[in-house]
Amino acid sequence: MNLSATDWQALLLTLKLAGVTTLLLALLGIPLSWWLANRRGRLRPLLEVVLSLPLVLPPTVLGFYLLLLLSPNQPLGALWQQLFNRPLVFSFPGLVAASMLYSLPFMVQPLLAAFDQRALPLAQAAAGLGMPPLARLRSVVLPACRSALVVALSMTFAHTLGEFGVVLMIGGAIPGETQVVSVALYQHVENLDYGGAHRLALVLLLLSVLLLLLGRYWGGRLSGVLLPSRKSSVESALEARP
Amino acid sequence: MTTLLSEVAIKAALAKGTEGLVVDGLCTGVHTTPVDLQLPVSGVIGVCGPSGAGKSALLSALAGLMPARGSVSWCGQRWQGRRFSLPMHRRSLSLGFQEARLFANLTVAQNLQLAERYCRRPLQEPEREALLDALALKPLLSRPVEQLSGGEAQRVALLRQLLNNAPVQFFDEPLSAVDMPLRIQRIVPALKKFWRDNPALVLWVSHDADELQLLAEHFVHVTEGRVTVAEKPPASLHSENPLSAALSHLTLRVREFLPEHQLLVLDLEGEVLYADRARGRYRAGETVRAMLSAADISLSVGRPSPSSLLNCLPVTLVDSRPLDDGRVRLHLDCDGRKLWAEISKYSYKKLQLKPGQSLFAQFKAGSLQGL
Repeated sequence: MNLSATDWQALLLTLKLAGVTTLLLALLGIPLSWWLANRRGRLRPLLEVVLSLPLVLPPTVLGFYLLLLLSPNQPLGALWQQLFNRPLVFSFPGLVAASMLYSLPFMVQPLLAAFDQRALPLAQAAAGLGMPPLARLRSVVLPACRSALVVALSMTFAHTLGEFGVVLMIGGAIPGETQVVSVALYQHVENLDYGGAHRLALVLLLLSVLLLLLGRYWGGRLSGVLLPSRKSSVESALEARP
Repeated sequence: MTTLLSEVAIKAALAKGTEGLVVDGLCTGVHTTPVDLQLPVSGVIGVCGPSGAGKSALLSALAGLMPARGSVSWCGQRWQGRRFSLPMHRRSLSLGFQEARLFANLTVAQNLQLAERYCRRPLQEPEREALLDALALKPLLSRPVEQLSGGEAQRVALLRQLLNNAPVQFFDEPLSAVDMPLRIQRIVPALKKFWRDNPALVLWVSHDADELQLLAEHFVHVTEGRVTVAEKPPASLHSENPLSAALSHLTLRVREFLPEHQLLVLDLEGEVLYADRARGRYRAGETVRAMLSAADISLSVGRPSPSSLLNCLPVTLVDSRPLDDGRVRLHLDCDGRKLWAEISKYSYKKLQLKPGQSLFAQFKAGSLQGL
């Protein structure tokens, strides 16, 4: 495909943003969802509402509040400025922070549902065999929720690919730093460059379809792929016998 | 380390003569009166009571899964007390659930392997083999757990908990979906042998009278919100075995084991009985329980001549009841013990049997089940 250099730059930046966001959200979202699934108090419904807020909030609203929160006049932005000597807004790290907040429900919702329905009873059984909490999460809960994990990862990635409002508010359109594909596409349209817009739109369309297909395929069918199939001592003992 | 510690604790408790599991005023919210229990360091305790009486809740509360007030301690280790509750995985117990709860997306072998990795007291290879064999799980090891039937899954869950070999083991109707012949003839004897070699305090919830009578030494009754300890299961408990009205329960004393004949010589208050195919290793002088099916007993009017039916007991006919299928069920008395026999109506008429009549009940050494 005949993409211009800035378009390529935007595409690579978008993939990088989605990749970093998905990775960080996985590190944050898995423990957060597991912690929430184990909560039974009055606090839980409130927390769930807060965590799903980005789903219904207009991206511009979220972006506006984030712009204020991350700006150097605010404590968080000021701290960042002091630590790294550059502002958080209109920068790639700022974009990542915003994307994480924006895509958080897409990581948490599928995981929370699977943890609640599928993993909690199994984790209790594991605790009933003396397994400590982290081992339970690693060896029992995550393998049991493998398909939900794949869905959560692919949805988060796909959702971050397409974000527009928040990115525009918080990042602007600095090529190579904050100009992602959706923003570049918008600028093509603004400049009446419909050919360039078509090309980028097609790239995003294909990527999204591919991701959804991969999510379905990996989440649904390939069981036994994410976990090494080590043999148990029972099994190897049996094989060793004549 | 934990293994050593718990063993030291158990030995210390035995030396001091203290109880194993001590429950003091446990308020669960399910049972109307606070629960007080003193249970030994080892032994199988049958937990019985009507559905919904709170048997599972009792296990959950003792394990720390269900919040409760009151105190629970095990061999001096405090499990629960005032504003304190040791997390379940740090109590030296294992808790089984009514559902199998096998770890999903793994194979049977991987499930067992996980339980073994967090095993409390490692098992010898032959013991593991014997359990695999008794539970008929060898052919299923490489199977994903999603492809198991209900009974198979339940057997895997039982083995998973046995391999974990905790000093305190709670089971909640672990054999309810397992077929009857396998349950009583293979699994129960294997369990008895296992716990003989690996002493543990076992709380075994069941609705099946046969299973409980064979396994348990003491009983905990959970009825109308009360928890009490008893020597016998409640009279209301009945067997799930369709043949069960026709099973006699015998309490026997071991005389000796004849290895060359693979025969266990038993004593029923002076009468000598023989059992073959006994799975456990029994010590002379210990008391064992066995079952005898009514269909396995044959009767003769005079003292029978020597026969391959090794066992012969003098009995008195108490009464008889015709069954639908052309057979007669006889209630026999053997020195105050109740025995059931079933013979054909034809034989009943031909022998001219009458209540009060003295008879001899004969059965094969292989008919004594559950040893």
